[in-house]
Amino acid sequence: MDGHDRVLAAFLAGELGPAEARRWDEHLLVCEACWRAVREDRAGRQAAQLLRQPAPPGLADRVAFAVEMAAARTAALRQVQLGIGSRRRARHDRRLRWRLAGAGAIAVGLAVTLMVVLLPGGRQAGTLPAAVAAVARYAQAIPAPAGDQHPQPAAPVQVGQPVTVTTGGQQIVLRTWRIGGTEAVVAVSGRPFPMPPGARGVSGLGMAWSVRQGKLGLYCVNGRISELLAAPVPAAELAALAARLPPA
Amino acid sequence: MWRTVGADHRLFLEATLPHLDAVWRVARQAAGEGQDPEDLVQETYLRAYAGFGSYRGENTRAWLAAICLNAARSQARRRRRRPWEVPGAAPPDALPRSRAGGEQSTADVANVVIAGLDAEQVSRCLALLPEPQRVCIMLVDVAGYTAREAAEALGCPRGTVLARVHRGRRRLAQLLAEAGVSHGRP
Repeated sequence: MDGHDRVLAAFLAGELGPAEARRWDEHLLVCEACWRAVREDRAGRQAAQLLRQPAPPGLADRVAFAVEMAAARTAALRQVQLGIGSRRRARHDRRLRWRLAGAGAIAVGLAVTLMVVLLPGGRQAGTLPAAVAAVARYAQAIPAPAGDQHPQPAAPVQVGQPVTVTTGGQQIVLRTWRIGGTEAVVAVSGRPFPMPPGARGVSGLGMAWSVRQGKLGLYCVNGRISELLAAPVPAAELAALAARLPPA
Repeated sequence: MWRTVGADHRLFLEATLPHLDAVWRVARQAAGEGQDPEDLVQETYLRAYAGFGSYRGENTRAWLAAICLNAARSQARRRRRRPWEVPGAAPPDALPRSRAGGEQSTADVANVVIAGLDAEQVSRCLALLPEPQRVCIMLVDVAGYTAREAAEALGCPRGTVLARVHRGRRRLAQLLAEAGVSHGRP
């Protein structure tokens, strides 16, 4: 590109001063080559602008979800390192390194598993609404607790840190509780969880429903703050289990 | 109520999600054959999140574009392909600039281009441009970046971006005119 073209490009970008721009305006009246360049530039710009399209619906949710999972993975790793690092650091340096590596690998593995399971295209949970399906998948992805070598406390104990996910435009905070040897996931959202096909309303509670999803029971109470409990217990026990958990 | 695993990812999403459309437009054009633009957008955001703690720049949009272009190149390298490989047999420089028999008239080029365009055809012709021109058009005309933002993303002078955009637009118009003629349009 010669200097002439560079000035023309600056002229087309509106970057010339008033006097120089006026000179170019006059020049274009008499110079066929430059006039053609201007018309081609405009035509090319119009054509390229045809490709301006908004991001597809759902991409923002997908991106936000992926970032949240990355954040959860980072936090889990940090917690594992801090927790283990505080124990017998001086006496067990060597063993500690192995533990860190192993725990880190487990945390990463769990996070990756969750991403695979929860992201669109992962294992589907029937025809459940997206928000309910995400909670069900999350609950299904949690490994079963180890064998009962110790008596389980009756009071609920929170396992790990809360995880925030966004699906179908709905933001959900997921907490995992261990209660009497059962792992239960409680999802909390500012928007109601849609009632899936086949779910039945819970008597006495206008916006509550429950449904069975494989081995998992889902129990939901919608309100100003909506809660969805997912646990591998019989449907008849869901309400009692929910009552034992701390309020959101 | 809303305890989260960390507040930094919220700050990150607040700063970057408003630019999703722009990143999407860059990704759509930068994604090579076999690459899913949505995957590329996600990869861009994950890379950006990983570097967000140390990011001190002022223009988040330009920063995201640079990451997206680098991610596209990395993915293409992994696939052992060139990121913006020119499809078809004819290299860009060997393409005819005008109809056989001489210069195409000003009216012909502009009229054909404006008359009957569809996005798919434009995308095909855009892919025929040399990479530097194509990337500049992708950033400025398609994604809506300013010349300054594009220069920041590409690490080159702003005047260079303007010049590449101008040359690229002209070449694009000529290619579209060629395609229009070959499809029997007036």
